[in-house]
Amino acid sequence: MRIRTAETSGPALMPGSDYIAHVDVNSFYASAERAFNPSLEGVPVVVLSNNDGCVVTRTAEAKALGIPMGEPWFKIAPRAKAWGLVALSSNYELYGDISSRVMELLGRYSAWVEVYSIDEAFLGVNGTPIQIRKLGRTIKDAVRRHVGVPVCVGIARTKGLAKLANKLAKHNPDFAGVCHWESIPEDVREGLMSRLSVVELWGVAARLTKRLNAMGIHTILDLKNTNPVLIRDRFSVVLMRTVLELQGTACIPMEEERVGRDQLIFSRSFSTPVTTAADMGQVMSVYAQQASARLAKHGLQAKVLTAFAGTSNYNQDSISYPSVCVPLPLPTADPVLLHRAANSLCERIYEGVKYVRAGIMVTDLRPTGNQSPLELFENPHEERGIGPLLEAVSKRYGRGSIGLGSAGVRGGPDWSMKREMLSPRYTTHWDELLLVKAS
Amino acid sequence: MAHVSNICLVDFAVPAEHPLLAPVSVACGYPSPSQDYFDGRINLNDHLIKDVTSTFVVRVSGDSMEGAGISDGDELIVNRALTPRHGSIVIAILDGELTVKRLQLTAGGVVLHAENPKYPDIQVKDAASLIVWGVAETCLHDLRR
Repeated sequence: MRIRTAETSGPALMPGSDYIAHVDVNSFYASAERAFNPSLEGVPVVVLSNNDGCVVTRTAEAKALGIPMGEPWFKIAPRAKAWGLVALSSNYELYGDISSRVMELLGRYSAWVEVYSIDEAFLGVNGTPIQIRKLGRTIKDAVRRHVGVPVCVGIARTKGLAKLANKLAKHNPDFAGVCHWESIPEDVREGLMSRLSVVELWGVAARLTKRLNAMGIHTILDLKNTNPVLIRDRFSVVLMRTVLELQGTACIPMEEERVGRDQLIFSRSFSTPVTTAADMGQVMSVYAQQASARLAKHGLQAKVLTAFAGTSNYNQDSISYPSVCVPLPLPTADPVLLHRAANSLCERIYEGVKYVRAGIMVTDLRPTGNQSPLELFENPHEERGIGPLLEAVSKRYGRGSIGLGSAGVRGGPDWSMKREMLSPRYTTHWDELLLVKAS
Repeated sequence: MAHVSNICLVDFAVPAEHPLLAPVSVACGYPSPSQDYFDGRINLNDHLIKDVTSTFVVRVSGDSMEGAGISDGDELIVNRALTPRHGSIVIAILDGELTVKRLQLTAGGVVLHAENPKYPDIQVKDAASLIVWGVAETCLHDLRR
């Protein structure tokens, strides 16, 4: 099968789009928890990584306590009670569902949505500055209203600037959560850039910051005023692109495969729409194989796979933005398992509806070396139906009542994540539904 | 604690309510006359969920809404995107808790009304501070219980 080619009119802007909107959920994991537990509102909340290791999400209140990102939980646990701090295990089932709801909703506002990570996306948008700002507010209000999580929206001519605008929208209350870069007067923009360190920029790591500082480049404004060619020679083409973007030249491609810190995305817009579940299955198959190969190349395995598709904004007759989030049975790079997971999107495909884009995202990546030895036997176990058997036993006699071989019933092989402070999986499990009081 | 059941939580099978294939004729038999009329089975999701992004299912705990046909243990289909109106069954946030009540917009102000005489009405002092989490659209009540 020939994969349909991406339509691109320029390197950075989406076809037919004047602007790029960057939509990002504020403190995503913690916000997803708050959406179902109002008592967490106004309270410092942190969400912990796999095995309750370290802090991966902090609310503003937790930041104010001085808890750094990545802080190991055991270091702050003794003080948590005195602080009134609530710590929660990562509830991937919940976050995956909330993420797919947000992305489905965003798909209603633009024909060109690039899911960038579990909690952020780029959208191609059109209109006058007034319309654009209004659209930004509409999107922000709709996500809050429909899904219950707060987002900020940054809009600009380029992706890099849209991200920067989003950062401003988050940190500066004057913007009320929506910042359109080009609507800000030039002198005010320079003032804003002069107050932000280069480390705040997308793709500028702490190590890079040191070298930039040594050259006398401290703020984003300093970087903007630097000759891009000099940056290319001393650093990289990537950083030069960032400088060019700051200067207003779009040069970060819109749909590009990315290997992020913890995710990998394959996403395409089709030149010819996909209209059947069978064809979508083929698309998913190709993505799954690409993802598998890429994971293997980087020595990574994924724990969660998200697959999504969408119809065109210009075709209002049939609107469909299906999305599924599948927790993988084990961290894996196995093409068969990835394909099976991606293929579950096909259940949500309506026959005859014209889908113009689709993609998969693998998240919660971890190095292959961290696997439990049992993974070597993953496939044979599946074939012999051991998985369903274990499930049946666990269902009947409770979790932890049966385990595999040396990995045992207790103890922590990687896949049996320790999640002692896990909130209910409100939206994916009937026996864990959100309780509402009638008393 | 090991969660063994995690390893096979995912069901990759196509759910029965989403048949991907219509019935096909048997190769050497007479084609089924109903074949041309098959349009997919009734799908409860289509019927009950108006908007997949904003619809959530919650479970009721308590008997304060029995007069509205909502019993302890029932499930409510809640749409967060709907605008609450006079008479809506709403999920409201009261003291950090989610509570199901009937919303009444009266001349005297906003009232959260329980559909059970055992429970008093709650007069909302400051209507602006009332946060409605969502509007209940349907109650799922198991008749065998």
